[in-house]
Amino acid sequence: MTFNQKFPRTRDCYVLAKGDAYTVAVSQAMATQGWQGGQGVKWDNSPLDEFIVTFSDGIYGGFILWGSNESSDQFTSMTGAQPIYGYGTFCSGGWIIATRTFEQYTYASRQAGPLVPLVYTVGQRVLFSRRGYFTNEDEWTPSGDPRAPNEYFIGNVVQAPSLDNNNYVTIQTSI
Amino acid sequence: MAEIIRARDCIVFFRGDNQPVVVSPDMVRLGWAGGQGVQWAPSTSDERMVTFSSGLYGGFLIWGSDESADQFTAMTKQQLIHQYATMLSGGCLMATTSYERYTYASRIGGGPLVPLVYVANDILYLSQRGLWTKEDEMTLSGDPLAPAFFTGFVAQIPKSVNSNFLGVQTSM
Repeated sequence: MTFNQKFPRTRDCYVLAKGDAYTVAVSQAMATQGWQGGQGVKWDNSPLDEFIVTFSDGIYGGFILWGSNESSDQFTSMTGAQPIYGYGTFCSGGWIIATRTFEQYTYASRQAGPLVPLVYTVGQRVLFSRRGYFTNEDEWTPSGDPRAPNEYFIGNVVQAPSLDNNNYVTIQTSI
Repeated sequence: MAEIIRARDCIVFFRGDNQPVVVSPDMVRLGWAGGQGVQWAPSTSDERMVTFSSGLYGGFLIWGSDESADQFTAMTKQQLIHQYATMLSGGCLMATTSYERYTYASRIGGGPLVPLVYVANDILYLSQRGLWTKEDEMTLSGDPLAPAFFTGFVAQIPKSVNSNFLGVQTSM
């Protein structure tokens, strides 16, 4: 920024402009495995009268604002609170966020062979990967997912990851 | 999670955009349920008018025209008398009873009704009568405007514990 304000980047996901938010239950898989702030989620089924989400596989519902066990939450009342009580803060609509929860390497190279970095550029459309991270790749097509191609675009790149910004990608969501 | 009070046709958990609109004479005559999908209609006046959706979208009406929760209040039939409604669009998370329970083919075919089974993340459209459905009824009916527009996702399936409300994340 021109006035050299330093963004403190101490969380997985931080918010520059806010859209819609709602408290949702998280699936058993999420409570067990944990998640990072900025994790993409989709809707799940529950026998109870609750809105419940689980890890996205490319479909969107939204993303979870806070990770389940972030370093910034240690020794506070937030420590482990979300997985213990089985909830998360679900975000959708139009946000501007910066997050480190994005795919750093191509889908193909993550399966086998040397890792090939993904290059993000400003204005690129993004979607969720098969594990619910922001990515600029349609992972349904190379993985043979019968739903391919994935055209559920959920935002575009506002600022590409760089050394300057501690390798966070800034995204304007449109969910 | 806290109990969700379900005393209306349509309950909103987070809200997208909203605006008051004029409703068509058909809507005034027939009434509507909360969560009803609507599309834009022509008007001779300088007003934004909606009518029952036939698969196209403008948005949905949050309140029904004569809901039980409005009886004996200032809302009783007020929308019908003054011919207005509150239309929501954009991204909302809501639950409604205004959705199709049976397949389009079985509803028009005269045979036994075949239930529609909703699952989480199903893509949703508006049916030919403006109710939420997982079927593209414009294609099924041979409508020249087919295919129908995607209007949302299933966020919560209808079941006895939620009084058979369909949870919807709208995208319109």
